[in-house]
Amino acid sequence: MERNLTHIALFAALIAVLGLVPKIDLGIGVPITAQSLGIMLCGTVLGAKRGALAVLLFLALVAMGVPLLSGGRGGIGLFASPSVGFLVGFPVAAFVTGWVMERLRGDVALAAFNASAIGGIIVLYAFGIPGIAFMAGKPLAEAAVGSLAFLPGDLVKAVLAALVTQMVARARPGSLLSRAQDAAGNVEAS
Amino acid sequence: MLTLTSPRETVLHRWPAGLKLALVAAGSVVLFQLPMAGVAVALALAAALALTLGLGRDWLGLLRLLWPVVLVLLAWHGLTGTLAQGALAVLRMLALVGLANLVTMTTRLSDMQAVFLWLSRPLAPILPPQRLALAFALVIRFVPVMLLRWQALVLAWRARAARRPGWHIYAPAVLAALDEADRVADALRARGGTA
Amino acid sequence: MDAIVLSGAGLVLQGRQVLADLSLRLSEPRIGIVGRNGSGKTSLLRLIAGLVPASTGSVRIAGLDPGKDRKAMLRKLGILFQNPDHQILFPTVAEELAFGLVQQGQSRAEAAARVAALLEAEGRAHWAGAPTHTLSQGQRQYLCLLAVLAMAPDWLLLDEPYAALDLPTQARLRRHLAGLTQRTVVISHDPVAVADMDRVIWLEAGRLRADGPPDDVLPAFRAEMMRLGEVDADTDLAT
Repeated sequence: MERNLTHIALFAALIAVLGLVPKIDLGIGVPITAQSLGIMLCGTVLGAKRGALAVLLFLALVAMGVPLLSGGRGGIGLFASPSVGFLVGFPVAAFVTGWVMERLRGDVALAAFNASAIGGIIVLYAFGIPGIAFMAGKPLAEAAVGSLAFLPGDLVKAVLAALVTQMVARARPGSLLSRAQDAAGNVEAS
Repeated sequence: MLTLTSPRETVLHRWPAGLKLALVAAGSVVLFQLPMAGVAVALALAAALALTLGLGRDWLGLLRLLWPVVLVLLAWHGLTGTLAQGALAVLRMLALVGLANLVTMTTRLSDMQAVFLWLSRPLAPILPPQRLALAFALVIRFVPVMLLRWQALVLAWRARAARRPGWHIYAPAVLAALDEADRVADALRARGGTA
Repeated sequence: MDAIVLSGAGLVLQGRQVLADLSLRLSEPRIGIVGRNGSGKTSLLRLIAGLVPASTGSVRIAGLDPGKDRKAMLRKLGILFQNPDHQILFPTVAEELAFGLVQQGQSRAEAAARVAALLEAEGRAHWAGAPTHTLSQGQRQYLCLLAVLAMAPDWLLLDEPYAALDLPTQARLRRHLAGLTQRTVVISHDPVAVADMDRVIWLEAGRLRADGPPDDVLPAFRAEMMRLGEVDADTDLAT
């Protein structure tokens, strides 16, 4: 009971922190903002329901004017900017990422990459692109082509989400709530 | 934890938060019906309101964060030869965001939370308002804690590495969140839990 | 005041026996628990506080299981964690203090009034709106103590309360604790911290090694710790 609530709250805080800290340089000259990495990790680590709730909690606080969105942004005004579709899509993306993660068996990293790519990219773009089109006064197709510019960065994030999830799984098998039954089995075995 | 609420007390601070949010919602519906001239007037009104309330500087500061978006939108519409539409989209966005920011700046976090808790009342059987309020408080409490944890990780990295922190640092950050969640659950339980 | 009664209590965490076969009746006003790192001191405190359920045996206070009857335990037991940052739940001092009171059934208004009175009495009225993360380590621990004491439990469980404090803050806390009407259980690896208690319990590898007045237990504990320090003490692999 308490653990459910605290996991959701702490991951909401984690999403915020990943957006507020300076960008990490990956050494190939591409600095990335990690906020959407946080969304993916909510799904791959916490699973569908808790992951989506963590993202919703984070968004509620952002909407209330707590400057937790990357770059220290906040307030309901954000929901009037072209990123509105992505914001609305965040909790759905986390949910789908978690849902896929809960169902894929086998290698943790591979499952986490696929889950993140499906939830954190395909589903997220399905919300984000109409948002851009609507707010920018552009046809969908054009908005979709424009969004392709973000695709390489987001693929990198899906890879990172996979690697980080795998490290978490190795360090704390019992903590990967998206695979709770699996983890329980590992503890018995070890 | 800092918020975007202006510490300078204005008339709007005393308006009910729900009313202000409802007005912005209504305003955004109207803005999408207005032609360019109307949208421009709305933006001018929002700016005038901010200036009258003595919030002009902060208001402009918040709006300035949008300049890259404005640039991209104008360039994009310029390339496709629809500059007039682009100008309308940009003005509308600025007016909408400008109005909404005024609400954010003149509403205390506690009042804003009260609105959210009120809106969530239909969910009370599955999500009791006290638990939601507790969740809000926990996030606000633990964002600074997690920021400090992150900074400690960066320092630990730099103490033993010449290169800047790489992606490896995300994993301990996630583990920190998981560990912290367990401890906070204990602390909650020790004092009566989420009931 | 009700005694804390452990009957053959044991704790297994992730397949590891952390505590085993502890039968104790705790009723003295001041009790100290000593032991090495990893001897199970903190686990014992968490077990008594009802934060983890006993794997074997039982823990009872007034016939109640502290892990089950949480509502009743709020009046019986208060626990102070070793690290205040693991305990403080709220962004401001006033919210942190009010939480436990509301949990005990007070209305928000009652709790707010009680918190204001409490801070006033402690000469800390200006703390009410202060963000908890801006307080110093000693201040945060003091806040945790106030938050627990505000709930007026019969027993106070303290996990290494002096470990992270500078000497003046330690002295102040010692004075504060000595003046309490609560019965206290204090964990420490430092024999000095428990030298003036009524009873000292020495845990070794999750089992009872010795139990009695400090003058009986502490000399042997000190001698054993010195002896271990001479040999290579930490070769067992922690799992």
